[in-house]
Amino acid sequence: MKSNISIIIGREFKERVAKKSFIVTTILMPVLMLAFMAAPALIMSLSSPENRTLAVIDNSGIVLPALVEHQPENLVLVPTAEPLDSAIRSDRYNGVLVIGADVAASPKASLYMHDASSVELESMLASRIEDAVRDQKLKSYNIDNLQQILDETETNVNLSTIRVDDKGEGESTSSFLSFGIGLFSTFILYMFLLMYGQMVMTSIIEEKSNRVLELVVSSVKPTQLMLGKILGVGLVAVVQVIIWAILLGAMSMIVMPMLVPDAVMSQVNALNAGTLDTASASVDVDMLQAISYFGSPVAILSIFGYLLLFLIGGFLFYASIFAAIGSAVDNIQDASQLQSFAVLPIILALVFSFTVAQEPNSTLAVWLSMIPFTSPMVMLCRIPFSIPGWEIAVSVAILYLSFVVMAWISGKIYRVGIFMYGKKPNIKDLIRWARYK
Amino acid sequence: MSNILEIEHVTKRFTGHTALDDVSLSIPKGKIYGLLGPNGAGKTTLIRIINHITAPDSGRVLFNGHQLREEDVAHIGYLPEERGLYKKMRVGEQALFFARLKGMKSAEANRELRRWFDKFQISGWWNKKVEELSKGMAQKIQFIVTVLHRPELLIFDEPFSGFDPINAELLKREILELRDQGSTVIFSTHNMDSVERLCDDITLINRSHNILSGNVAEIRARMGRGRYRLTFNGSPDALLAALGSRVASSTFDNAEGGAVKAELKVQPDVDRREIIALANNSVDLVSFDRALPSMNDIFLSTVAEYNRANNIVNELSPVLES
Repeated sequence: MKSNISIIIGREFKERVAKKSFIVTTILMPVLMLAFMAAPALIMSLSSPENRTLAVIDNSGIVLPALVEHQPENLVLVPTAEPLDSAIRSDRYNGVLVIGADVAASPKASLYMHDASSVELESMLASRIEDAVRDQKLKSYNIDNLQQILDETETNVNLSTIRVDDKGEGESTSSFLSFGIGLFSTFILYMFLLMYGQMVMTSIIEEKSNRVLELVVSSVKPTQLMLGKILGVGLVAVVQVIIWAILLGAMSMIVMPMLVPDAVMSQVNALNAGTLDTASASVDVDMLQAISYFGSPVAILSIFGYLLLFLIGGFLFYASIFAAIGSAVDNIQDASQLQSFAVLPIILALVFSFTVAQEPNSTLAVWLSMIPFTSPMVMLCRIPFSIPGWEIAVSVAILYLSFVVMAWISGKIYRVGIFMYGKKPNIKDLIRWARYK
Repeated sequence: MSNILEIEHVTKRFTGHTALDDVSLSIPKGKIYGLLGPNGAGKTTLIRIINHITAPDSGRVLFNGHQLREEDVAHIGYLPEERGLYKKMRVGEQALFFARLKGMKSAEANRELRRWFDKFQISGWWNKKVEELSKGMAQKIQFIVTVLHRPELLIFDEPFSGFDPINAELLKREILELRDQGSTVIFSTHNMDSVERLCDDITLINRSHNILSGNVAEIRARMGRGRYRLTFNGSPDALLAALGSRVASSTFDNAEGGAVKAELKVQPDVDRREIIALANNSVDLVSFDRALPSMNDIFLSTVAEYNRANNIVNELSPVLES
């Protein structure tokens, strides 16, 4: 009867993969994900800020020359001697910038606007005024060659972290990138565990309330049916992740070089070759690293490889719990309470992952990445921070072993639960059923 | 005649109650066997044990002479009382799925399935989803799923519920045909009428015990011993006077054309010929026959008697006069 389990897996798999919703989400999701990532950049490049004209009333007399000397883009600054009231009323200006008389001692300026201001405009003006005040103060020390000194002291530090593995080989990855990758894959895993775990549960409840179950178990052992369903649904998840990996890999290799400007690309290449002069880089180094990282298929493969490893383990573990719950109840409404035994740890694991991403090597992080309830997500979140390989191995071993134990317990609950109708069970009932001979 | 199934001292307990208590019965090959009993008596538990869905706590089940194994379920077809199919699955695909679970090869299952679809004239349903079918249509599919793999042992739990009279008749014909082809049929039902018409042997389960087993004709003859049905012209009093103390109880009714119908229960040791002779002398006897009790009467009286004997107070237990 070994082959029966494969017939069950086949049915579960086919039923879901043939659904329109599966095909649509599988193909659309990567496109949507990329769109979400690319959207802010696109919007910024498409919408150029509107031109504004501001009247400037400089009561201090020291800021205005510096402001006017380098006129910023999209902004015309007009010095005026008009009183504030009439300047505000004037149609010629979008607004009026008033700089206090004693700006050096008490740095205060006010911006009166007819229409909406923007954070960008405000911070730009503030930093301009700060610069002017600072320059003015420096000049008051009467230092020779001041401008030259200032230019020379101008630095832009860029911290790049080089992770050194046991062999002493360095790998340059920024924590920013690790953080992003860790949380991204954790979130994907979270979605999958919840979605596919609940799929197992609802499908068992359906079979039960449908009464088709009695017919199926007359040919298949209940535990085989349960395992077949878990494996069939899991296979769907695996196929979906693999398709996403292929689609995302293809997109990052084909689409990204087309979108990223040549100037940036050459800097990425320089970064990879180790010849990049970080001070002269026009783009943030984190960004360059990210572009370089996602441009390599090996990186994408390793992200999805780990994702699959923990997705399969985590799914098998949680799906076993969901299966036991599904077998115990007659309808979805009754499942809501019991379901929290599976849903809560998944949500908690996601919440913990945010903390873990900030301190990936804390004691808490290490422990959470070993406990099977939280380990898939927490470990996945830690992996980009180049943690020791044995930790990953131990975590995976515990997770898969826990699945076997959990499946065994769930199987015992399942074969009793599927014949229980009418009564809404609680956790005590489930524990009692698990103890039946 | 060998037995396809031997249930030997099977006991099954759940927390709080015993579903089967030391139940034994034998089901002969090639017969239709009725499994009777009130709701909750333990029939479904017994059927699940035969289907290898649950295991008995003690006792054993022999299938074709050997201990029932998991592989044996491929030779069993089961139509549960609560019918159900995968609603979103297409009819043909679904039937193939269940056939393959019973160990059939795809090609063979396909061929058999087409044959059944032709026979029931439902070939157009192949690609329909089950949710598009009416209840009666789905029942037909379920019947086909039960018998497709040509099982040696068929178990029908309340097969006629939900069928209209035409389809019920069709189903009955198919069941008899399967029996004639060599299948053994276990038939769990409350419909005593169909038990009389279809079953060769029965077991009556009440409160987790086997309280009556045997051949239907023999049981009816045994239960009907000493009961006669008469039609005559004349006075009931004259008849009773002639029979005297030989009669234990009697009922009279008016029949067509002024005749009287009587049912007599006589004392155990009284010979039938003596009754006929005495009746013939006292009234104008039109007909004389054994009064065989219906299976319904047997069911009710046996259950009531068992409950009374075991001091089971049950307001629902039927009260019978005899």
